[in-house]
Amino acid sequence: MMSLLKPFSKLPGLNTANILLVENEEQFQQSLADVLVEETSVTVTVRLAKSLPLPMENDESRPRIDLVVFIMNLTSELSFQSAEASLKYLDPGYFLGKVCFMVTNARNASVPTERLDAVRKLAASLHCPLLFAEDQTPDGVTSATERLLTVLKVAAGLVPTTTALYLSNLTRCTLPPDIDQPSFD
Amino acid sequence: MDDSARRLLQRIMRRIPAQMLKPTLDKWGRLTAAQRQSMDFTESKWALTEKLLAICEENEMTVKHITELEMIHVIENPDHCMWYALQLMDPEEDVHSVELTQFKEQFKSHLRELIRHVSIKIKKHTDEAVWIRIAWGDSFSRPNHLKPTYVVHHLQTPYVFVTSLTSKLKPLLSQALVLSTRYQAIKDASLSGRKLTAIRDLLMRQYQQVFPTKYPSPLAENDQNASNILINKEQAELAASRHQKACEAFGDGMLPQLQSAVYKLETKFRDHTNKTMTEREEAFRCVVKFASTNLLESLRHCASSGIASTPGTSLLSSIPLKGRNYFVITDNSPGPSSQTRQPSN
Repeated sequence: MMSLLKPFSKLPGLNTANILLVENEEQFQQSLADVLVEETSVTVTVRLAKSLPLPMENDESRPRIDLVVFIMNLTSELSFQSAEASLKYLDPGYFLGKVCFMVTNARNASVPTERLDAVRKLAASLHCPLLFAEDQTPDGVTSATERLLTVLKVAAGLVPTTTALYLSNLTRCTLPPDIDQPSFD
Repeated sequence: MDDSARRLLQRIMRRIPAQMLKPTLDKWGRLTAAQRQSMDFTESKWALTEKLLAICEENEMTVKHITELEMIHVIENPDHCMWYALQLMDPEEDVHSVELTQFKEQFKSHLRELIRHVSIKIKKHTDEAVWIRIAWGDSFSRPNHLKPTYVVHHLQTPYVFVTSLTSKLKPLLSQALVLSTRYQAIKDASLSGRKLTAIRDLLMRQYQQVFPTKYPSPLAENDQNASNILINKEQAELAASRHQKACEAFGDGMLPQLQSAVYKLETKFRDHTNKTMTEREEAFRCVVKFASTNLLESLRHCASSGIASTPGTSLLSSIPLKGRNYFVITDNSPGPSSQTRQPSN
């Protein structure tokens, strides 16, 4: 497909890491971006999108994307569906440690258990990490940013002795064996 | 001071919030300086009401004076009652020459011709609106000041806003309005709400309009990201065009705080999966009500955030376009643009 985003088709920048945040609601990504760019040890650039595919007009100017993060609000079915639909616009090469799922509102009582299970199964089937974040407080945003930066630096090849694929083996989402059992409520 | 005047004063005092008591009474200006001094506004409202009743007795005030106080309060706080919009139709040639004094005289004389016992008070507010308070009586009884109707008319516009009005009295008011404003007819504008300012601004389009343009202005970067070249929005153009379309449908900036919209459906039931209901001959009647603290803002946000696709359904964008929030949708009409409105009660 013409519009696939490819992980290695461009040259990397010196001491630079580029992250793409994909979020249907376009809220958390902005707060994360503001903190991500404050990183001093490497130059972090952030691309924000509502969904994939990305507009072709930006293909030339876009740098090599080291890490793609799908942000989902668990209280919204639309948020999940939009993220799921965007996955097919990524080259399969990204799924070797360069994709990450981040969800918010996991503790919200209105989230149906089926949705969280569905997200878990999706992340596990793609061998990607599943991060849980709290997006309402500055502390929540900061800690989510720190975790993203850890993965980003590895994915951008800036951490010696480790690669994105190796890290993903340690961080990828796994399913509890009883995931398909009915829950208590 | 007779019983009805006392009851009216007690009721007004209950309605005015504690912090507004002093300014409202000052504005009323019917208390002497000494009497004003004697009111201790830290006391309970009940105590103040008793004090005020005593002062009014002292001044030998009649119900007419008390209605002034009520009117001042309602003009300052019009958002407590339900307001209904009316529109005058078919202007006569001299409609533009109607000015305040003429309107006042004509309205009073026409209404008094139609109904013997009626009490009318007209006041021009600072913002070009004419406020009318009407207490209705009938051939046998004196005007009932506890159930007044308030009417607001902006001279030189065909719009009139009224509060509680029974179906019996509506034709009388309509007749008086039509004759005194030099129009030929008046109709229900299918717009109602609690916030007078909201329905007035909606009907008279006193909010920022956005017109469709073939060449929208150059893409303005999100302020945060413009200052930071490290953050880049991939789909900024799409977002901007969604925002533009949303504003074209609903307006830009502060929108009138409309709080509800009602769609009365009289269409046939249509759903492939439900044969029993679809096979029915008669229309499936149902009422859909949208409610919000700021309905237009919510709808605009739905459109600009992409939750609702643009261009949106004309049913929703008809609210600001036509300045109404009550629609009846039947099968005969393809959309609200050609529907006929059912007459209200």
